[in-house]
Amino acid sequence: MILLRLISWPYIRKHLLRWMLTLAGIVLGVAVFVGMHTANQSVLYAFRQTVDRIAGATQLQISAGETGFDENVLDRVQAVPQVRVAVPVIEAVVSTALAGQGNLLILGVDMTGDRGLRDYDLESGDAAVDDPLVFLAQPDSLIVTESFARENRLAIGGKIPLSTMQGEKRFTVRGIMKSGGLTSAFGGNLAVMDVYAAQKVFGRGRKFDRIDLAVSDGASVDTVARRIKALLGPGFQVQEPSARGQQFESISRIYSLTADITSAFALFIGMFIIYNTFQIAVTQRRAEIGILRALGATRRQIRTIFLGESVVAGLAGSLLGLALGIGIARVMTGYIGALLGEVYGIAQRADEISTDPKLMLFAVVLGVITSVVAAFIPARAAARVDPVQALQKGKYQQLSAGENRTRRVSAFIVALLAVGCVLLRKYHALVYVADALAVVAALLLTPTLALLVARMLRPLLKLLSPVEGTLAADSLLQAPRRTSGAVAALMLSLALVVALGGLTRASYDSILTWLNVALNPDLFVTPSESLTARDFRFPEAMVDQLRAIPGIAEVQGVRDARIEIRGTPIMFVAADVESLVRRANVPPVAGDARTMYREAARGRAVLASENFALLRGYKLGDMIDIPTPRGLLHLPIAGIVTDYSDQEGSILMDRSVFKRYWNDDTVNIFRVYLTSGATEADVKRRILERFSAERRLFVLTNRDVRRYILRLTDQWFGITYVQIAVAVLVAVLGIVNTLTVSITDRRRELGVLQAVGGLRNQIRRTIWLEALTIGAVGLILGLAFGALQLYFSLVIVVEDIAGLRLGYEYPYQISLALLPVILAVAFISAIGPAESVVRGSLVEALEYE
Amino acid sequence: MNKTFLVSGFLFLVVGSCAAQDARQIVTEAQNRSRSKSQQYEGTLEVVGSSNKVSLKRWIYQRIGSFGASKAILRFTAPPEVKGVALLIVNHPDRASDQWMWTPAIERDRRIALQDRSTRFFATDFSFEDLEERDVNQYDYKLAGEDTVDGAACWKIESKPKESKSSQYTSSLVSVRKDNYVIVQIENYNKDKLIRRVHYSDIQQVDGIWTARSTEVYDPGRQSRTVLKLEKLQYNVPLKEDDFTLEALRRG
Amino acid sequence: MIRLAHVSKIFQGKRQVTALDGIDLEIGRGEMVSIIGPSGSGKSTLLNLIGGLDTATSGEIAIDGQRLSGLSDDELTRLRRDKIGFIFQFFNLLPTLSCMENVSIPLHLRGWPKKKIDERARELLDLVGLAHRMEHLPDELSGGERQRCAIARALSVYPPVLLADEPTGNLDTHTGADILKLIRDLHQRLGSTVLIVTHDIHVAENCARLVALCDGRIEEDRAGKLGPVSMGGKL
Repeated sequence: MILLRLISWPYIRKHLLRWMLTLAGIVLGVAVFVGMHTANQSVLYAFRQTVDRIAGATQLQISAGETGFDENVLDRVQAVPQVRVAVPVIEAVVSTALAGQGNLLILGVDMTGDRGLRDYDLESGDAAVDDPLVFLAQPDSLIVTESFARENRLAIGGKIPLSTMQGEKRFTVRGIMKSGGLTSAFGGNLAVMDVYAAQKVFGRGRKFDRIDLAVSDGASVDTVARRIKALLGPGFQVQEPSARGQQFESISRIYSLTADITSAFALFIGMFIIYNTFQIAVTQRRAEIGILRALGATRRQIRTIFLGESVVAGLAGSLLGLALGIGIARVMTGYIGALLGEVYGIAQRADEISTDPKLMLFAVVLGVITSVVAAFIPARAAARVDPVQALQKGKYQQLSAGENRTRRVSAFIVALLAVGCVLLRKYHALVYVADALAVVAALLLTPTLALLVARMLRPLLKLLSPVEGTLAADSLLQAPRRTSGAVAALMLSLALVVALGGLTRASYDSILTWLNVALNPDLFVTPSESLTARDFRFPEAMVDQLRAIPGIAEVQGVRDARIEIRGTPIMFVAADVESLVRRANVPPVAGDARTMYREAARGRAVLASENFALLRGYKLGDMIDIPTPRGLLHLPIAGIVTDYSDQEGSILMDRSVFKRYWNDDTVNIFRVYLTSGATEADVKRRILERFSAERRLFVLTNRDVRRYILRLTDQWFGITYVQIAVAVLVAVLGIVNTLTVSITDRRRELGVLQAVGGLRNQIRRTIWLEALTIGAVGLILGLAFGALQLYFSLVIVVEDIAGLRLGYEYPYQISLALLPVILAVAFISAIGPAESVVRGSLVEALEYE
Repeated sequence: MNKTFLVSGFLFLVVGSCAAQDARQIVTEAQNRSRSKSQQYEGTLEVVGSSNKVSLKRWIYQRIGSFGASKAILRFTAPPEVKGVALLIVNHPDRASDQWMWTPAIERDRRIALQDRSTRFFATDFSFEDLEERDVNQYDYKLAGEDTVDGAACWKIESKPKESKSSQYTSSLVSVRKDNYVIVQIENYNKDKLIRRVHYSDIQQVDGIWTARSTEVYDPGRQSRTVLKLEKLQYNVPLKEDDFTLEALRRG
Repeated sequence: MIRLAHVSKIFQGKRQVTALDGIDLEIGRGEMVSIIGPSGSGKSTLLNLIGGLDTATSGEIAIDGQRLSGLSDDELTRLRRDKIGFIFQFFNLLPTLSCMENVSIPLHLRGWPKKKIDERARELLDLVGLAHRMEHLPDELSGGERQRCAIARALSVYPPVLLADEPTGNLDTHTGADILKLIRDLHQRLGSTVLIVTHDIHVAENCARLVALCDGRIEEDRAGKLGPVSMGGKL
């Protein structure tokens, strides 16, 4: 420790800027890790909190996926002897027309029994109005939270406009809940409504979304759960309230994975930057090490000093990263909450971030470990410094030719292994191994490749500027060790950018293709603005009402809902298959187009989406057990089609099957085809006119829907762009770091250049060109390696993450865009170091050691 | 709201009796004397909250059948917000009553899930438990002394729920008038704390049955009082079974 | 050729250090002068000032009639480039470049065409006796050879002034003598004005003129005892 203070601190203080730059890698990695996870967790936490608060004393919740179930289930559950209280629940999120309030979570409950589970703790104001009887008698009754009432200056009797199935309606505040448990759910934007009124308002028919229950004193929750499961059959889930949080987690799995990948990447690159700095620090401090060794320091002590420095660096970087990460989370939580809400159709309200001490600790440990791992090789090199040689002034260590050859040979072997793994792709894990091996091979080859590219660039540089260009190229050619770290970091970052760009491109393209083939109705009629929200539903009678409107040729009612298959909520799409196929003939990925659609239309089979099949391991012809309120539905998969309805996959069935087994004829969305000659605008107006008086609906044109989906896709890839930004930023850091380090390292050399007649501008240009060359070398290697990374990413994404078949398409646009960006960044990051050199004291530079 | 609701004011009397020699006989006698084939009245309920705010409800009440197997319908007439809301209560001798509620605004009947009996009955000072028909056999009785309520001499009887019976109260003190066996006061305790006091007054003989036409419940915890008054009270009026069904409830 | 008038150099810092204190010195064209003194006497500072690597706090320095004060950095560099060659104690060769390349650098900086540079570099290396080491890296050379290479670099454009800072300081006696001899030869053959800073009295006495510094002042200014007759100068 004392060594660390005496030896390391002065050095760090002297090169503070450089240290900060080095730390930046760790800072960024930890910040991204903490930021994205905290944002994610805050959203999850908010969701869980809402679930938890709403659950009150609920011990078990009964649901049937998202489909809801008939009212009579409640009687059957209440009849179970160990059930103390069982109450029906309808939950829906509606938008309020109140300024600045956004969404309101409506909890439809039966107030006559619900207080056995939830404490409403109503403000006892005017007893006559705060009257459950009035509340039940008047279907426009709402109970709101104190905070919501305060924010909107609502008192008892106040009006809240809400959009309902019958259009916008004014609701009346009939009670105000004092702050406490329930009121903090959904950020306080919670309102309680009578469950039967809610059935009407949200078009639920005579169905409940859920039953909340508590067991009698002394009864075991597990036993009751088992008993109810047996009673109701496999179509129902009987779970503790916390299980809903897990479902949300499993639905938003891909998002978390994305966050993990980004932060892992940032840390990985951060590791390179740290490695690079330490490597150079060791070279630079050889004399110091020599003196220490001469004074009796053991190798172990030397190594300890360097590792100690890396621990301090890692710790400092992690702590800074932590702070930055929390800042990032603050900014991102709302955005991610909204995004997840829209993409998955699950509403939550994350107003505050929740920091998890375990996550923080993990991030710090991760940061420190990364730093120590990065410093390990340089520390070992430091320990091996020969004191006698080190003390001879003016001597530099050389990268031995032998070492280079060893690297090349190992790179070759590793690359061969990688190819082998790819060939044996059947064993799935080998793809990951192959990818890792490819990265290792690329890293091993970096110095050699960098040399090669630099040599190729030399004539160009010379042409550009004969003197400085040559000097810059030579500096790179002669000192590959100094720059290969930065080149490697740059290469990996750019490869990631290329891979992400390629993935985005491919996903985008296939989504577009799907949109073109499958999403071809002229109009869509939906009960809410969001296409993913399923809180509102239409009655079936609307099909005929729509058909009767002039200009409409065909109407397809679609009902979708998540249903649990083997514990994972899977999106089911129930539609009139026969009509669907006639209008939008999606070519199957597997299965015979004619028979599969016929079988599905007759309700004898289902069609699985490609991602469902890939992710859940189903094949054509496999039987699938679908839990329904009427028992297990056992149907074969007759075909596999491309469908982007849900990230975790979807299953298409005929609506007749859904109606029969779920006893549910409601519709989420109508697909409307026009007769030839009818215009979208006219028909849209007619639909709105026809229904405006009686119900709330939205008529979207094909273009609207397309725009909506693409906007969502864009927002989703927004996260990817964050990743790309992080990757570029890390690459930039790498360049800045390398240049700063390399300039300090070469002050004497540059001093000599000036002493023998180098003009300021010549020195400047030399440094600039050197930076540009590093940038160019990194670009060339990165864009090339990116092509390989894209291949691996596609394999992994296709088989493990998204389950979608994506075509290989090199993202030329992004690559081209990167050229000026990286070169500009390289140039800009060279300005500072260059100025510090030409303005610094020549005498000092010449004496520099 | 068990059948009970109607019950209030009258069925209360019913409050158990049984076991202990004298005490139980007194309570049983009180219950027997209140027995009738049917009943009809217009009720007025006044809740006077701690801030002296008063809220008022009115309804028409009809009952058919007698204790243990009765059916009743209660239709609210005021205030306007609840007008038309109706309750159907079907009592069973062996289990809790079934209740339905009709809400005209959404044209729906619903079963009332009454699971926590200490819940207040629709913002009054009655709890649902207070309104239940009590099975005399589920309580133990003890003569606790004598008392004078509103100038009338009373027996003071302590009732305690048997172990098999769950109740929010640990004991109650019931005052029964010696002259006509009308229950005039019930004090419900949890441990030593008074939870509710029910006071019966304006006692008149209607169609040969001594009835308290005014019932006042006082909740010392909330500092709130509820007064129920029965008007146009009639016993043994001719009513049809058909009028006490779910269909009848929906007809309004 | 080199004229110093009342030149002082004061280093500011925690403690103010007067490195040079009112130096008056004139060195004629073609002279070979040694500056000797113990460490801290200000001899290196003097050399840095003459070479334009550093600027004087007060006083006036002129090289070949051109005053240094008031020159911009680039003008100083040009002056250095055209008129002065530097020889350092630690050679300061670029470790990553071969002898040939090291010697070529100043010529590159002047923007000479490649062919001419090659020609000149070869010529220079030949001149210092390193023709056989042209493609070697500094690390592969002996100390003496490295200094020869450095001298070749300093001579690149045959500057009229050659400044050497302890040119033998990092060499053994024998090699040091060789280098000294080389410098003397070059001085005679090329007629450059040579200024050698040293603390080695033997080296100093080998020069035609000896200037001894102590605590920033000239203590002695006399002819070298062993020095050959210079081509010009006071002797």
